[in-house]
Amino acid sequence: MERLNRRSFVKVAGVATGAAALAATPPLARAAIEGTPEHIDPTTGVPEEPVVAYVRDAQRGEVTVSHGTTEHTYRDPALARKLLRAAKKGA
Amino acid sequence: MSSHREAPSISQDPVADNADTYAFVSPDDPTTVTIITNYVPLQGPPGGPNFFEFGDDVLYSIYVDNDGDALPEITFQFKFHTTYQNKNTFLYNTGPISSLTDPNWNKRQLYSVSVIHSTGKGDEQDHSKDGEGTLLAKDLACPPCNIGPRSTPNYDTLAAAAVHHISGGIHVFAGQRCDGFFVDLGAIFDLGDIRELNSLHVIPTPTGTSVDTLKTMNVHAIAIKVPISMLTKDGSVPTDPSKAVSVLGIWGGASRRKVYVQDKHKRLKSGPWTQVSRLGNPLFNEVIVPVGEKDEWNSVDPIDDSKFAKYVKQPELAKLLPALYPGEFPNLAAYTKDRADLEAILLTGIPTGVVNGFQNYTSAKTADMLRLNVAIPPTTSNPNALGLIGGDAAGFPNGRRVFDDVVSIELKAVAGATIPLVDGSYTPDGAVGAVSSYITPASDRYQSTFPYLGTPHDGYDTPSS
Repeated sequence: MERLNRRSFVKVAGVATGAAALAATPPLARAAIEGTPEHIDPTTGVPEEPVVAYVRDAQRGEVTVSHGTTEHTYRDPALARKLLRAAKKGA
Repeated sequence: MSSHREAPSISQDPVADNADTYAFVSPDDPTTVTIITNYVPLQGPPGGPNFFEFGDDVLYSIYVDNDGDALPEITFQFKFHTTYQNKNTFLYNTGPISSLTDPNWNKRQLYSVSVIHSTGKGDEQDHSKDGEGTLLAKDLACPPCNIGPRSTPNYDTLAAAAVHHISGGIHVFAGQRCDGFFVDLGAIFDLGDIRELNSLHVIPTPTGTSVDTLKTMNVHAIAIKVPISMLTKDGSVPTDPSKAVSVLGIWGGASRRKVYVQDKHKRLKSGPWTQVSRLGNPLFNEVIVPVGEKDEWNSVDPIDDSKFAKYVKQPELAKLLPALYPGEFPNLAAYTKDRADLEAILLTGIPTGVVNGFQNYTSAKTADMLRLNVAIPPTTSNPNALGLIGGDAAGFPNGRRVFDDVVSIELKAVAGATIPLVDGSYTPDGAVGAVSSYITPASDRYQSTFPYLGTPHDGYDTPSS
C-alpha cells in the first residue's frame, strides 16, 4: 500500500475537491474547457502579498480574487472551470 | 468577563480580542476625551521569553459617531510592527532596559496612528478606507512588558516615555497595563454563582467571599486622549448636557486580512481588512448574544445591531436569575414585557426625561456603542463606581471609566433595578440589592493620569500564571 505522506494526502484531497466541483459543471461547459495546466514543483516562495483566487461558486462560475487590500468577485465561467481543472490536475 | 474570550472564534485569537473599551472625559484634562481599547486579555505576567504584544497583522480601530446614526465620522487606526536588535539570541532583552532605545531591549514593537474622516451616511459602515487613513504619527514606541527588577527596574519611567504627544494635541499610548476590569470569574461561570449568595443558589454551598480573579493579570491597552473639539460634530466643547451634540457614540474593533497563506514558517496575507472583534458596551457580546451568533456579531458593525436587539429586549440572563436563585426574583420572573430600560442603556442611549438632568440618547437606531455625554464634567472627588445608578452621571453608562463596576451595574440592571425608570408599575425584587460583584479593586489598579490603567504586574513578583 502506498504510504500516505503529507504530499500525497494533499493530492488525494485535491482530486476529491476538483472532481466534485467539476461534476457540478454542465457537460457543454465542460467541453469548452481549454488548455491543460502544467503541474510543476514551485521553486520560489509565496510572494509577501500573494494574489489569491478561489472559486466561490462553481455552478455560477464565480471567482473571487484578492490582491493587496482589495477583493473583487467576477462571474467568469471559463476562469472558474480552468481553476477547477487545475485543481484536478494538481492530483 | 467584559469581553475577554467572549466568542468562539476570537477566543482563539487573543491579539485581536477587544476585551474592554473605555471612554470618559479625562479627569485631569476635561477639555479632552480618553478612549481606551484593551487587547490580549488574561496575560500571566511571567509569560516569556516571547512576552505579550499586539498583532503585527491586526488593524486596531477606535470609532467615534458624532451625529447619532451609528456610523463613525472619525476613526483612529493603529498598526504595529515588531523589530529585533539581535536575532541570534532567545532573549527578549540582553540586559536591563533603561530606555525605549536601550540596545539591551531586543524585541520591541512600534506603531503608527492614522485617522479617517468620513461623512458616515447610508445604512452600512464604509470600510473601504481601512488601513489607509491620514497618517498622524509613525514609529511610535510601545514600552516593553514589565518583566522584573533586573530587566525593567524603572518600569514607570519606561511607560511614561511611551506616552506620545502627536499632532492636534492628541496623546497616545499603546502597551502593557494591568487589567482594570474586575469580576469573580470562577464563580460567575460556575452556573452564575455569587459566592456571597451561595446559600441562595439552586445548588447551594456555604457562603464565601468573591475573588478578584484578574487582580494579577495584565492586558495590552491602546489609549488615545483627544481634544473634545476634534470629536464633536460642530467642533465645539459642549457644556449643555441636554444637547444632542454633547453625545458621542464610541466603540473599538480589530480586523484581519481576509486571506492568509501559511508558507512554511511565514504567514502571508491578502485581501481586504475584515473585522473579527468589536466592543462598545461591556458584556454585550458576552452575556446578551447567544453563542451561535457571537462570531457573527463580532464581524458586523453597530449599525447592523437591530438583528440582535431581541436579545436585549428579552435577555437570557433575566430568565436565568429566577431559576438560579429560586424564590429570590419573583417580580423579575413575572415580568414579560420587552426590556425598554436595557434597550435604552445599551442600544439607543437614555433619552431626556428618564434620569433627571441626564441624557445620552443618540437616535432610535439600535446599536451597541458606549455613549458619552461630554458635557457632563468628570467627577474628581469620590467618584461612585456604580456610575449613573450610583448617582454619578460621569460614569457608566455615560461612557465608561476604568474603575466603573460594570458587572454590578449590569447585573443590577438585568435583575430589574432599572425597569422602574421606564415602567412605573414595576417594583424591583429585594434581591436586586444583593446582586453585586462584591469586589473593590486595589487602588494601584489605576492611576490618575493618562493612560489611567495602572502599572502592569511584573513577572518576577507576580508568578501567578
